[in-house]
Amino acid sequence: MVRRILLLLLSCTAIYLLNFFIPRLMPGDPFDYTASGSGEDVTDVYSQEQKELLREYYGLDKPWPQQLADTVARNLHGDLGQSIHYKRPVLDILVERLPWSLWMMGCSLALSLLLGVGLALLCVGTRHGHRVLAPLLSALAEIPPFLTGVLLLFLVAARVSWIPLSGAVTPFAQYSSVWQQLGDILLHSLMPIAALTLVTCPKFFFTAWASFSSVLHQPYMTNAKAKALRQRRVWPFYLLANSLSPIAARLFLLVGACVGGTILVENVFAYPGLGTVLREAVSYRDYPMIQGVFLLSALLVLVSLTLADLCSHAVDREGTP
Amino acid sequence: MKKSLLLPLILLALLALIFLWGVTLYPWDAALPSGESLQPPSPTHWLGTDNLGVDVFAQISAGFFRSMGIGAMTALCTFLLGGGLGITAGLAGGWVDDAIGLLIQIFLSIPQLPVMIVLGAFLGQSTWNIIWILCLFSWAPVAKVLREKTRSVCGRPYVSMARVYGGGLFYLIRTHLAGDLLPLLSVSALGVVGKAILQESSLAFLGLSDPLARSWGLMIARATQFPGIYRTNFWLWWLLSPVLAMILSTLLLRLTVQAIQLPKS
Repeated sequence: MVRRILLLLLSCTAIYLLNFFIPRLMPGDPFDYTASGSGEDVTDVYSQEQKELLREYYGLDKPWPQQLADTVARNLHGDLGQSIHYKRPVLDILVERLPWSLWMMGCSLALSLLLGVGLALLCVGTRHGHRVLAPLLSALAEIPPFLTGVLLLFLVAARVSWIPLSGAVTPFAQYSSVWQQLGDILLHSLMPIAALTLVTCPKFFFTAWASFSSVLHQPYMTNAKAKALRQRRVWPFYLLANSLSPIAARLFLLVGACVGGTILVENVFAYPGLGTVLREAVSYRDYPMIQGVFLLSALLVLVSLTLADLCSHAVDREGTP
Repeated sequence: MKKSLLLPLILLALLALIFLWGVTLYPWDAALPSGESLQPPSPTHWLGTDNLGVDVFAQISAGFFRSMGIGAMTALCTFLLGGGLGITAGLAGGWVDDAIGLLIQIFLSIPQLPVMIVLGAFLGQSTWNIIWILCLFSWAPVAKVLREKTRSVCGRPYVSMARVYGGGLFYLIRTHLAGDLLPLLSVSALGVVGKAILQESSLAFLGLSDPLARSWGLMIARATQFPGIYRTNFWLWWLLSPVLAMILSTLLLRLTVQAIQLPKS
């Protein structure tokens, strides 16, 4: 366990350093890009003098060890810097956008968990279910999330008039009640969540299927059958309860893949989460913003990886009494 | 040869031949406009033209060889880097094993896509940079598998016996290890090809690939960004054909790898 936490800390440090150095090595200068909101319409260039002043203001003129020390000190105080493109504190933007990404990720993880486990149960319960489901889902798992997003956008959202094409809420909408607002948010997130769920649920399906199959061969299952227990009792208490730990470990492992998927799907549907911010920040060379998004997503993934390890640790302990 | 392997291989070869036609004998260029814009498929333009009047079939054909090239380069790199590090770790043991193991762990736990996006932006938009980035994140799983396999093979009685009788390192690798490790390494590296193609298209979709290259991801991104494309039927040839080409070729690659793997597992 100590080893695991040490690894977590080491990975965090590696990511933090990478995070610090990469934007500073990028070609291009953020002050070449800040001239206008859209970046292309207005070409308003800073003078050399203004650039120097700005560089001094953001502390970019100091030697890098000094910059690193300053950054660490500031980050420890919860200050992630000022976004160069948005001209607002990075933390504010992250706090503003994170709920959308978390909502999307949480919903699609939960949905794919239910769907994957359900389909796996169907597979175990029926004789020929796996012949259709296994190849279908294994093909689906290969498709990258942005493709399912694009396909859903064109094949479903563009055909069905009541499904919105992009965004997270109807712009300039006036809601008469909280329920109406909630409905609007749900409707807008329907397609992004569906796109991410389609890609994620096969992964749960295969883990759950393997787990169920191994539990089915255990002696206590034969015993349960010999006692003529009803399926209503056997399935939840014998089968599901005993195969949960690998599925739970898988859930945490998948958070990493889900972060990547969220970034791609958000960009397909112009969903205002962290993914769209990251893409914009990269194109405007907005160092602090990139660092903020990157740090947040890396922390999220590393913490969930450690949780996944704890889960499989628990499984190992069960296995060797 | 097995039937399950033959079928995807033949289909893949057929696909490659069709696309080879597209880059050689097909009259239109993949980079230059060759007719009216947004033409539906016709005998002159097999899959129509895009908004700039560039032939879609010519673009997809060029994209196929580009994607396959990127996939093959990444696979080669994975073969060398993943195989080299994994086998070294398994053979050497001790602190070398620990160090490489730690490196593998770190690379496996770093969230790939955000790092790829940041690196892609940092290195600039070119095809070679994309290949480097893909290599950087594809070797770790292969190295992990190879490390475990090397360890288990080294633990077998006949290997320790050969070692006790004074077999040198290269003798051991040649006679006892290569037979077990090479097939596993080749199949793992082959499996990387399809994944690399899809990852490249994801990066291209986000605008991080070479903006001048004929890439499937870029075609898809351009088509989806075309204003009002949902209301028209342009997407039927402009968007759907690169999507189908990508799904078809990665699926066939995957089936091939699966067919090679099957008897071993």
